[in-house]
Amino acid sequence: MSDKTVLLQDTTAGIATGTNDFFGVFKAALRESNLADNVRLVRVADMGVYNQGVVMTILPENITYANVEVHDIKRIIGVTLKHGNPVKDLLYQPKFRQMRLVLKNCGRLDPGSIDDYIATDGYRALLKAVEQKTPEDVIAELKNSGLRGRGGGGYSTGLKWQFTREAEGETKYVICNADEGDPGAYMDRSVLEGNPHSVIEGMLLAGYAIGSSQGFFYIRAEYPLAIERVQKALDQARDRGLLGANILGSAFSMDIEIRLGAGAFVCGEETALIASIEGKRGTPVPRPPYPSVRGLWGMPTCINNVETLANVAPIILHGADWFAGIGTSSSKGTKVFALTGKVRNSGLVEVPMGTTLRDIVFDIGGGIASGKKFKAVQTGGPSGGVIPEKYLDTPVDYDTLQKLGSIMGSGGMIVMDEDDCMVDIAKFYIKFCVEESCGKCAPCRIGGYQILHILEGITQGRGTLQDLDRLILIARAMKMGSLCGLGQTAANPVISTLTYFEDEYREHIVNRRCPARKCKALLQFSIIRHQCKKCGLCARACPENAITGDREHGYTIDTDKCIHCGMCFDVCKFSAVERI
Amino acid sequence: MAALTAKDFDAIKTSVQDGAKNWIRVGMSTCGIAAGAGKIYRALEEEISRQGQSVSLRTCGCLGMCYAEPLVEVCIEGLPRVVYCRVTEDCAREIVRGHVMGRKLLQDYILAMHYEEAFS
Repeated sequence: MSDKTVLLQDTTAGIATGTNDFFGVFKAALRESNLADNVRLVRVADMGVYNQGVVMTILPENITYANVEVHDIKRIIGVTLKHGNPVKDLLYQPKFRQMRLVLKNCGRLDPGSIDDYIATDGYRALLKAVEQKTPEDVIAELKNSGLRGRGGGGYSTGLKWQFTREAEGETKYVICNADEGDPGAYMDRSVLEGNPHSVIEGMLLAGYAIGSSQGFFYIRAEYPLAIERVQKALDQARDRGLLGANILGSAFSMDIEIRLGAGAFVCGEETALIASIEGKRGTPVPRPPYPSVRGLWGMPTCINNVETLANVAPIILHGADWFAGIGTSSSKGTKVFALTGKVRNSGLVEVPMGTTLRDIVFDIGGGIASGKKFKAVQTGGPSGGVIPEKYLDTPVDYDTLQKLGSIMGSGGMIVMDEDDCMVDIAKFYIKFCVEESCGKCAPCRIGGYQILHILEGITQGRGTLQDLDRLILIARAMKMGSLCGLGQTAANPVISTLTYFEDEYREHIVNRRCPARKCKALLQFSIIRHQCKKCGLCARACPENAITGDREHGYTIDTDKCIHCGMCFDVCKFSAVERI
Repeated sequence: MAALTAKDFDAIKTSVQDGAKNWIRVGMSTCGIAAGAGKIYRALEEEISRQGQSVSLRTCGCLGMCYAEPLVEVCIEGLPRVVYCRVTEDCAREIVRGHVMGRKLLQDYILAMHYEEAFS
């Protein structure tokens, strides 16, 4: 009989108490059946399957069982380990919620080796295009695939390419927008660091399709490793004749260079990005004309995001129909999300469009890390909004998220639990936009600042109910009057938190209370007598000497002197400081 | 190096696939490095040379399980290919001694991954 491997995940409760040592029992049972030498029993760190009791996978058959009890061991040994057959009533089909398309080879190949990329059919799409397809064919393929821009806007990539191709200009440019700036989002960085050649191939295909011979990577200087790896990949590609004149023996010639951004958020906006590459101050200009007509140095320019470009080669290689078969009717393919915040498994997830938020947060992300109650998930960064629990079963695509008052954005997804204050969240994002606003147009420059000012008032107990109307009014003005996407969408987090969590705003204003206990100025601290051990730690920690008393009589907090810093709450080892 | 031509593609693919059958890969993107993948790589490198093993040690990008970094994937002929998570330096040395040389899978470090690939 051949060697078998059993990967086993004990329940955490079982390991902690030691009362249910499934692993030990299984091991003893193997010894009893004289299988100890033929079966590798390995306890795993994480099986990726949660709340299903003891889970095990048996290799090489790849049979997975869940909710296994001790009395099932005999059957598993007899049926599966001895004869390779499944025990049907224990079978569990792990849900393959993730689908890897962009990230497929990320983490599977050496980003510093062009051969590794070529071995995964890399640059074959380019070969196929220059040998068998006209630029028009490539554009048609892209249009038929339904690929939409992954940077946030969601515009049809094929149409963008077509407009750039049709626009007149003595030269044309391709730009890869790698100015990823949303808080908590790092999908593009990982793709550039893990599989830079896939993006280069996408740029070459874009260049071939629109008739360009020069491309630029616009990468922010905060991504030194990504820059280093892209540069190395470009050098290798040039070395192998994949950049330069007559690529792969065809008439197509193109080169690509890197341009560094200084990390200004507004430079992710395409017209500001172009200004930055031209060496000017990174501020946007009104559109139209769109860059596809008049872009870099006045020439037709095609700007695509990193993830968009990484999708291109698989589409050309496997066909538009294959790609259009993944996803929903309006949004095709997959989307990479950077899942962060209060979630248990933070990281990158790639799912087909149409996957529900619940699947992403709870199945893949493993739910809330602390076990506390889920409150909302923020998508789309400073241009997006929050989505509350009642909409968790919404299938994620460009249009459904927009209907909910958020956006797909570049793919940041921040999970929040009951400890997060929604007014504070709105304040955080608007503060980000105030700091990042370029200041060129008044609605964004002044509107953002005024919204921040009002929100600060609310979180500090100076809010009035009229403030809520004022917020909406300013938000609307910013949306209508701002020059670029940054200002037009900057108020989205405010509008969406107000829509879904107006009660929380009112609680701050009317009762001067922060339900999440996050807004420190609204908190009242007091010492719970019967829990206090009179150690005096709080009194020593208080920077304002607002805590008086002694080790004999106990301590009290002088609320007039208290500056709500929370030091006493943090240092108390006996949870004797109460904050309400 | 000579410019790539159409007929080189298959040759490169074959040579990469016929390359080292026994290998260890360390995730060395920003997320991995921040979690200490650099130290893990050096620990593996030292232990491999100390034990005189011929296993190929390489780096790769981010697998997406950033919460479980540093991640080390190990492929040794005759054993299932596995990903170890939250690898410490001690664990790295044990990967060489226990997994590569002892041909045993390490307890409590394996991370199972569930996803389908959009194309093969």
